[in-house]
Amino acid sequence: MQMVKFLSKQVHLPYVGPVGLWVIIFVIIPMGVAVYLSFVQAGSHGQIIHEFTIGNYRALFTGERLMILARSLQYAVVTNIVCLLIGYPLAYWIVRHGGRFKFLLLGLMIVPSWISQLLRLYALRRLGGDPGIINSILLGLGVISSPLKMLFNPTAVVFGLIYTWLPFMMLPIYASLEGLDESLLEASVDLGATPLNRFFTVTLPLTKGGVFAGTILCLIPAFGDWLSPLILGGDRVLMAGSLVRLYFINVGNFPLGAAVAVILTAAVLLMIYIFIKLGGEEAVERLV
Amino acid sequence: MKTGKIADIIQRLGVILVYIVLWMPIIILVVMSFSNHAIGLRWQGFTLQWYVQVLNTSKAMEALKNSLFISAVATVVSTIGGTLGAYGLYKYKFRGRGALRMSVLLPITIPYVVTAATLLLFFTQVVRIPLGYISIIIAHITFSAPLAVFIVLGRMARVDWTLEEASADLGAGKLTTWRKVIAPVLLPAILISAALIFPWSFNDFTITYFVAGVGTMTLPIYIFSLMQYSMTPVVINAISSIFVVLPIIGLLLVTFLQRKETA
Repeated sequence: MQMVKFLSKQVHLPYVGPVGLWVIIFVIIPMGVAVYLSFVQAGSHGQIIHEFTIGNYRALFTGERLMILARSLQYAVVTNIVCLLIGYPLAYWIVRHGGRFKFLLLGLMIVPSWISQLLRLYALRRLGGDPGIINSILLGLGVISSPLKMLFNPTAVVFGLIYTWLPFMMLPIYASLEGLDESLLEASVDLGATPLNRFFTVTLPLTKGGVFAGTILCLIPAFGDWLSPLILGGDRVLMAGSLVRLYFINVGNFPLGAAVAVILTAAVLLMIYIFIKLGGEEAVERLV
Repeated sequence: MKTGKIADIIQRLGVILVYIVLWMPIIILVVMSFSNHAIGLRWQGFTLQWYVQVLNTSKAMEALKNSLFISAVATVVSTIGGTLGAYGLYKYKFRGRGALRMSVLLPITIPYVVTAATLLLFFTQVVRIPLGYISIIIAHITFSAPLAVFIVLGRMARVDWTLEEASADLGAGKLTTWRKVIAPVLLPAILISAALIFPWSFNDFTITYFVAGVGTMTLPIYIFSLMQYSMTPVVINAISSIFVVLPIIGLLLVTFLQRKETA
């Protein structure tokens, strides 16, 4: 009887039940498994030895592997700054001067964000590779005598990151600029603000939410990216995501791979927490 | 006045440059798929032979079929589950609501590789689901159902809910109310999430790569396997065209639906 009473109160269950159950089984539990595995060790044949150890974390926070983790963060920050420096002025220009091309310019930014990242990076490799299209043209024109080595270096990897994640920075900024109240800008001019003044005291603070949303959508995926290092870095410039692939697919050391996944997740959750603290709820609302 | 004009031109050139860099690689990829050059590095006359070759490659066709099937199932399941979830999250206050909201956000905020790797762990170490169709579909739903939840939630906040109450007051059952009132109101949002999820699922390489195991090819996995050989790339260009055309269709569809929604 008690049970029936309890169940009759759970009117939300038919709705949120399926998604909730799904998330618990396929997101929360796997994450828990990863946390557990990150504290045990793999034997010499990849079998799991169920004994507590922090050896995986110790291994990741020393030498070459620590460099790779630090590099991921560095590349992600550089990518984010460059995307912001390109994305903000671009969005600003389209909002103010886009005119009848506004929708076209917006669409031309949205479509690449929907095209498979694998393919977009592959397209870059076809252009910059050896043999590749740029080399083929330059050799044909006699501008260069031996092919340029444009790929498989850090610059190529960071370029790939910027190329991939720029739309995700620009679009939320565009949305926030588009929603800006024009009368506020006019008021600031009436009150004698110079254009530069106006930008830093009115426009930028009012579009802070868009900048934060863009940063979440650009910094975090760039930080966890593994395709740019794989396809443009030729697995010679590794990032944290490359380590995940290395340990899960190539080597089959699940505990070490799980530790990388846990570190990545913890870092990302920390970033989001900081953004929410700094940018307020608005950034998150803009995302969902 | 003069400097203003020059600044104007420089800005304009900057905007054009960004778009050229963004689109040139993609356009060249598609254009080269029609070039008669053996490895697609130069324009050597128009040909459709690479497309014919793709159509005659049974592996490519099978990968396409797999991709379409997986994306279709993932889209339908995610959209239905996501819509119900959004309705529940919006309409009812219950214990754990905030926690559920946050957990649903999780798969779309943490990096793909992490979601992919933890699912691989789960499938191989805990439940032992054989890697293949089933594991790929589960993984795709895990990522895309949350997308549907948040798209539909966004729509629900803007809907006038008095109709639903009226329908209940007039004695309509829960199912009738859903069929006659709720579903039609949410339909644009449901279609938009489907139009977003299908291309996402169809495009996905990362998550599929981790949980596919050996033997089950989707189109992106097939492309990746071709990329390992440097000398057979023109066929890839031909396949890639579909990946460029699909999002354009998707975007037009979403724009159309949004116009309808606001109209």
